[in-house]
Amino acid sequence: MSNSVTARRSRSRFPLGGWESSLLVLFVLQVLASSFSIPGFFDSFSSWLGLTENFLPFGIVALGLSVVILTGGIDLSVGSTAGLGAIVMAELWLHLGMPIWIAVMIGVALGALVGLINGLIITRFNTEPLIATLATSFIYRSVGTALAGESPPSGFPDSFNALGQGAIGGLIPYQLILFSILAVLFALLMSRSAYGRKIVMVGYNGDAARYSGLRVGRIVTSAYVISGAMAALAGIVLAAYYSAVRPDMGDILLLTTITTVVLGGISIFGGEGSIGGVVIAVLLLGFLRQGMLIAGFSDMVTTMVTGAILLAAITIRNLLSGRGTGMALLVRRFRNLGRDKLTEATK
Amino acid sequence: MTRAPRRETREVTLILATIVTLIVVGIINHDFMTLQNIRFMILNSVVLSLLALGQTWVIATKGIDLSVAPIMGLTAVVTGLLEQGSGLPLVGAIGITIGIGIVLGTVNGLLVAKLNIPPIIVTLGTYSLYSGLMFIYSNGTDVVSVPPAYATFGNGTLAHWLPIPIPVLILAAILFLCWFVLGHTIFGRAVLAIGNNAVAAYNAGVSVVATQIRVYMISGLLAAIAGFVFLCYTGSATVTTGTGDHVELQSIAVALIGGTAIVGGRGNMVGTVLGGLFLSVVLTALVFLHVPPIWYSAGEGAMILVTVTLGMRQNAARKAIR
Repeated sequence: MSNSVTARRSRSRFPLGGWESSLLVLFVLQVLASSFSIPGFFDSFSSWLGLTENFLPFGIVALGLSVVILTGGIDLSVGSTAGLGAIVMAELWLHLGMPIWIAVMIGVALGALVGLINGLIITRFNTEPLIATLATSFIYRSVGTALAGESPPSGFPDSFNALGQGAIGGLIPYQLILFSILAVLFALLMSRSAYGRKIVMVGYNGDAARYSGLRVGRIVTSAYVISGAMAALAGIVLAAYYSAVRPDMGDILLLTTITTVVLGGISIFGGEGSIGGVVIAVLLLGFLRQGMLIAGFSDMVTTMVTGAILLAAITIRNLLSGRGTGMALLVRRFRNLGRDKLTEATK
Repeated sequence: MTRAPRRETREVTLILATIVTLIVVGIINHDFMTLQNIRFMILNSVVLSLLALGQTWVIATKGIDLSVAPIMGLTAVVTGLLEQGSGLPLVGAIGITIGIGIVLGTVNGLLVAKLNIPPIIVTLGTYSLYSGLMFIYSNGTDVVSVPPAYATFGNGTLAHWLPIPIPVLILAAILFLCWFVLGHTIFGRAVLAIGNNAVAAYNAGVSVVATQIRVYMISGLLAAIAGFVFLCYTGSATVTTGTGDHVELQSIAVALIGGTAIVGGRGNMVGTVLGGLFLSVVLTALVFLHVPPIWYSAGEGAMILVTVTLGMRQNAARKAIR
């Protein structure tokens, strides 16, 4: 079994691996099929691009969450963090009369701070990420609800709302520009920088990373900082989209985002996957949902289809991975337990 | 597989914490320690404890079951609507409950064990699937009332000489079964062995696939029972029952508070039920202390962090043994 860290590096000239390419083909087919079969899906190029405004906040969260999942962790607090970031931004703007873009920056910084708390709890207390972020998600939700008060702020200035609803020249939504910049940034960071390789290394084998002299604690913590900042940013974009904030508005983000990241090909055990796949998964799932909603399916039915796609995709991936079935798969799944010895044994 | 030393510590801690909370809050607010309120707090913990018992089974194998929330909601909605529409008798409802739980749980189990998909992904997917089913089945109709037979099942007692509510008796019976099977049968040992080291368990001749399927089946079954008890207890069910309150996260929290290790290999059924009771007491205490409801979930979060940090020493000891 070749080491996926080095394997990915050797074929890094090709921007997309096999999984990502299949997703891309699926995405193109899906968009073409929807354009021809669903009236209203592709009326004009600008309205089609405008559909992205409905799902790109999910994509922003997915980028940050990808980094965490690449380290082998998980961040269940992204939903609460999104709500908290947006509320702090709105309250600063409304009650302290702060210029809204400064408030936005403070909101994102707060998201990073909240992520730092997650990271420190996980690394310093040696807590499982699932438990730590489950607990903090409860706490952040309470804080957000308390700050929001009886009537949460709404009615932001138009210049701010443009972030959620506006488009350059009536064609390219600001959200899409923001997401594209972030996506390129994250893709370069994860695949071309030493930092990104460290993240993948920690996720692939934490002990080996530690013995190689990496500061595993710091690297893991930084992933949660990134995830928190991205979640808060997504919450703020949602606030601009609705021109209102609510403490529970981030709740819908969590499960869909995990689905997106996993569908994008990032292993839930960490150490495997690419940002490119996640970006395609964001577009694939997003346009699929929008298409189904336009075709008149209810929100729950589209959620159901999303779940089915997730399960089908992972099943197909397991079957096609060609790494054997039965015992070999079992060994792979539990590779965290003395991974090296086991892979030796099954060679 | 060594048994963790002084295994009963968590139970004792939880009982002491519950008693201290009862006494302290009882002194501050005299209405807190009434018999009626204590009965309410116990009854109120039943649904969550049932869910958490199922979750304990799954977590003991190093898995996780997020789909308990929609299974609970689906059962409540299906049985409630069937009763509202065609007067389904209680026995029929219980039969349907068991059927739904076993089928949906087994689907989870098959996906996890046969197709080798990570449990968190499987149950994330089935979470969407099952909540979609719930939505399609209910078609926006809510259950608004249940007949007296159901209400008795959810609130009443079996006989005058036994003043314990029926749901509490059910919980006690299920707790005994879970405790016995996990601690004193080959199946229970297999569950813990898989949680400790699935590969080693496989090499030792444990049927990993069959055991995993059964564990998710148990979790689904208990979630369904929780849903039916919820329906009978509250007399209502909507399309957001279960999923709206994020009971899947709460049930994980209760299992962890009860001393079950998220890394697998250790399950504590008695602790889980005590944890559910403790959570119910604390949440009710917050009401009696006039804490605004928005801080309840923060209280839950803080409880998880404190209990997990308390369990750290034990974990460290376990690691040292390895």
